[in-house]
Amino acid sequence: MSLEERNLPTQSYGYGGLPGRPQSQESLADILERVLDKGIVIAGDIQINLLDIELLTIKLRLLIASVDRAKEMGINWWESDASLQSLGPDTGDHQGELQQENRELRERLERIERQLASGNDSAKQSDASRSSGD
Amino acid sequence: MALLRDALVSAAAAERGRPEPIPTQPRSSAGAEQGELLWAYCVLRASDRQPHGVAGVGGAGGVEPVQAAGLVALVGRVPRAEFGAESLQRNLNDLGWLERVARAHEAVLEQALAMSTIVPMRMCTLYENADSVRRMLEREQEALTRALETLDGRREWGVKMLADPARLMESARRKSADASALEPELETRGEGGAYLLRRRLERELRELADSLAAEVAAQVHARLQDWAIDAVTRPAQNRELSGHEGEMLLNGAYLVDADRIDELRRLIGDLEVQHRELGVRIELTGPWPPYNFVPGPAATGV
Repeated sequence: MSLEERNLPTQSYGYGGLPGRPQSQESLADILERVLDKGIVIAGDIQINLLDIELLTIKLRLLIASVDRAKEMGINWWESDASLQSLGPDTGDHQGELQQENRELRERLERIERQLASGNDSAKQSDASRSSGD
Repeated sequence: MALLRDALVSAAAAERGRPEPIPTQPRSSAGAEQGELLWAYCVLRASDRQPHGVAGVGGAGGVEPVQAAGLVALVGRVPRAEFGAESLQRNLNDLGWLERVARAHEAVLEQALAMSTIVPMRMCTLYENADSVRRMLEREQEALTRALETLDGRREWGVKMLADPARLMESARRKSADASALEPELETRGEGGAYLLRRRLERELRELADSLAAEVAAQVHARLQDWAIDAVTRPAQNRELSGHEGEMLLNGAYLVDADRIDELRRLIGDLEVQHRELGVRIELTGPWPPYNFVPGPAATGV
């Protein structure tokens, strides 16, 4: 892909109006992560703490909450989407439950795998019997 | 972040003066939610060019300069009913409102940036009147002047690196010793055993793909950081908000000499080619108002 073919999103200045969200504009994510979170902080006369805004949407909550995580540069960035989804009120409990169940199943599977791998699937007290029995 | 929050709160608390209304815009005394406030966009040198006829956050009112201490703050009138503390808190939670205002703020800054060096204000910096803005300029003169000097002739550019998850997995598979060892073994296993093995393999490959991704992101960032005057990384953006495809491995901002932008484009082209194997796409956005590179006033320590 040549440089010319590549889309360089914000080369233009001065769109005056405020239409919805055309593709050619900067992405809302690009703008919000800057205007909400960065820029010089000088106290004004109206006391507002942008960090305490209870943003309704999970997206924004994430955007702001994630600032702390920025320090952990290089690790787990790509996981943020999945982890975000489990936080949101709108993705809700159902998704959370599914993830929880998924996690439990994976752990269980790992235990079973380990037992299989060691060829020791017989007499040993297994996690499965412990959790189901008693 | 906690530091910033504390600083914000204490700075705001220290600022609870009761400034006089400006003569040109007498405030109605009928109630707290009437009249207007001044929304501050950015600060520049009084001697620099300023945009005119820009529609700002408040709409038709436009943007006007308030001058003091050799500096100019670009401000715009906004209705108190919409931007007073209570309404503001409520409105900020409305994504449509927030988007409109954030884009309007950004649009003013971009027009100013096209002409001059600017210090962008964080959105929602609001003043009662012009006198209050002037007092701010006088009080913050030193920090603002220092910031302008730091930012002269420099531009903020955003760099996002996106990778194709399937290609990442492919690369991981090629690099994985386990994958090559275990794959033939899958054939010899029964259905259950093969399933478990496959699961394990998949998990290992995903971990490997993740570490490949982290490695590439760190490499690309390091190259850009060496090259730029200053650099910061931000968390990967939320897909719902950004609409990006693929995995966002890097979301960085770089402060670059305005006359070296062609070099930056070339460097990014090279990096993209270098990591083609992972289906990497590097997006350059900008020039941005230098939000990420404003040196904070010592007191508010950004």
